[in-house]
Amino acid sequence: MAAIDLVDLQKRFGNVTVVDGVSLQIQEGEFIVLVGPSGCGKTTTLRMIAGLERPSDGEIQINGVVVNDLPPQRRDLAMVFQNYALYSHYTVAKNLAYPLKSQRISKPEIQSKVSEVAELLGLSHVLKRRPGQLSGGQRQRVALGRAIVREPRAFLMDEPLSNLDASLRVEMRKEIIELSRRLKATVVYVTHDQVEAMTMADRVVVMNHGRVQQVGPPSEVFEKPRNTFVAGFIGTPKMNFFSAQIDLSPETGVRLGQEFVPILSDLAVSQDQSVTIGIRPEAFALSESGLPVDVTLTENLGSETLVYAGLAGQQCWFQVPTRAAPRRGDSVYLSVQPEDIHVFESDENGNRICPK
Amino acid sequence: MSGSRNPFLLFLRFAIILIIVAVLLLPFLWILVNSFRPTMDIVGGPEIIPSAVTLANYTGLLESTPYWTWVRNSTIVAIMTIVLTVPIAVAASYGLNRCHFPGRNQLGVAVLAVYAFPTAILVIPMFALFNRFGLLDTYLGLALVNTLLATPFAIWMLQAFMKSVPSEIEEASAMDGSGRVRTLVRIVVPQIMPGIFSVAVFAMVVAWTEYLFASVLMQSDTNRVLAVGMADLIGQYRIDWGRLLAGSVMTAAPVILFFSITARWFLRGVSAGSLD
Repeated sequence: MAAIDLVDLQKRFGNVTVVDGVSLQIQEGEFIVLVGPSGCGKTTTLRMIAGLERPSDGEIQINGVVVNDLPPQRRDLAMVFQNYALYSHYTVAKNLAYPLKSQRISKPEIQSKVSEVAELLGLSHVLKRRPGQLSGGQRQRVALGRAIVREPRAFLMDEPLSNLDASLRVEMRKEIIELSRRLKATVVYVTHDQVEAMTMADRVVVMNHGRVQQVGPPSEVFEKPRNTFVAGFIGTPKMNFFSAQIDLSPETGVRLGQEFVPILSDLAVSQDQSVTIGIRPEAFALSESGLPVDVTLTENLGSETLVYAGLAGQQCWFQVPTRAAPRRGDSVYLSVQPEDIHVFESDENGNRICPK
Repeated sequence: MSGSRNPFLLFLRFAIILIIVAVLLLPFLWILVNSFRPTMDIVGGPEIIPSAVTLANYTGLLESTPYWTWVRNSTIVAIMTIVLTVPIAVAASYGLNRCHFPGRNQLGVAVLAVYAFPTAILVIPMFALFNRFGLLDTYLGLALVNTLLATPFAIWMLQAFMKSVPSEIEEASAMDGSGRVRTLVRIVVPQIMPGIFSVAVFAMVVAWTEYLFASVLMQSDTNRVLAVGMADLIGQYRIDWGRLLAGSVMTAAPVILFFSITARWFLRGVSAGSLD
């Protein structure tokens, strides 16, 4: 397995910059998830690592060796494609054997490796079938098998689960995690699904507009989003954002319309500074006093209910246990702990101010 | 069936299709039927259901001409033409489709522009060239000319098939450790088998029916091909219609037979399923 370093990687198509200075150090055996909305440059970054796209600028290093000029077949990486890209004219067995045949490996060894992988992925009974005769989940497994059979230096996965139905996706997610642990594999995984990112990654790389917005373990990205984009992208339901003003007396807090909300005090802000505050829907609690809101809509999610309400002239949503949920038209009070209030600059970057 | 369910329109459509099919097939039917009629009857006038049937035209043809030699010569030339045309057309259309180089589109158009020249103007330079290289009156020489005539259109035929191969499976092949050539041979070629089959048919038909170069380049009787041999049945003063029609049937029959048998084998196993 390999470590992969990206150094100020750029990709331009004509005068459109798709990847804009991505630097990232991927450790050996690490499961890295690139996540972001469509068009954020995550797939292009992956394809550059694979060698399928040429960087316009910057460097890609595998185990410290610059590979910019190496064609994909000489990088010893394996890739799983979104649409599987199986060889429809070959049987499953031949699909699995294909990566081995370009290496100098004896036939019996190829056969034993193929059956080993087929065993591992539960494909033994379909080895003689062609991809066209397989279910979506089986095709996905063949694509995975073709990647692992060769024991490459790293795995690149481009939204491999997005063509599966929901229950199968959860199942395969688990299998991929287990597989990567067992193989101690370096994995670079691209997805637009933040649930996949949060559940699978050792470290999440949140991208937007071709730039890395934040790199960190899922919990860190969730708890300390570095800007409003990351804060809004990670977490479901989405974080609430309010425009507010800093008020330093009598204690540190923000003015949200007529209301005063205390926040943590270890931050560099000035009186009356405009800020954006972010509060996750689950950070709100119903209380006897606090922020008054008028409930406009409720969505029962089962054990929890998502409540939409008006707060100081701005729309907000919060999540409470269904048993205690208010109804449409109710006026209730919400409380929120100071440490649950994320404070961002109010400019377009929305960088995090507090808590540090 | 899409379209109208109005019975009258449906009937009209079938009627039109039938007329078109009839117009296309009648000449062939006429040839087939008349090849079994005595020559005197044929000259007497057309009949769809013959009043007298005979095999004399066929036996006469086989006795008086080296038919099997011609068939053998044509077959050798046709196979050589296929063997030369298919790899060249596959490589060229792959290059024109997948490799990026300046002037690619212009080259793609230029390939077809070859057909803008009447082939007759090539006869004399070709003759001179082949004379110098000792290719006159050889199977290879005629096969080279046929390849020249077939390849441009063959490249063009393959373009559409080439475009239909998803680029992901080529990328997958590269990721699986294969270079361009291996990917082309192992992955792309099997995917475009129907196209390759069409090209092989086309190359064979070109070789089988080409007359001009065959008559000029193949001078000895032993190397004569079917198209030239059959044309010789048309004498200066007299045409034996019966034998000519029998000869036409026996020229077309091997091709039709061969491809109706091989088509199924060629197209087998090419199915969807590589992509979702």
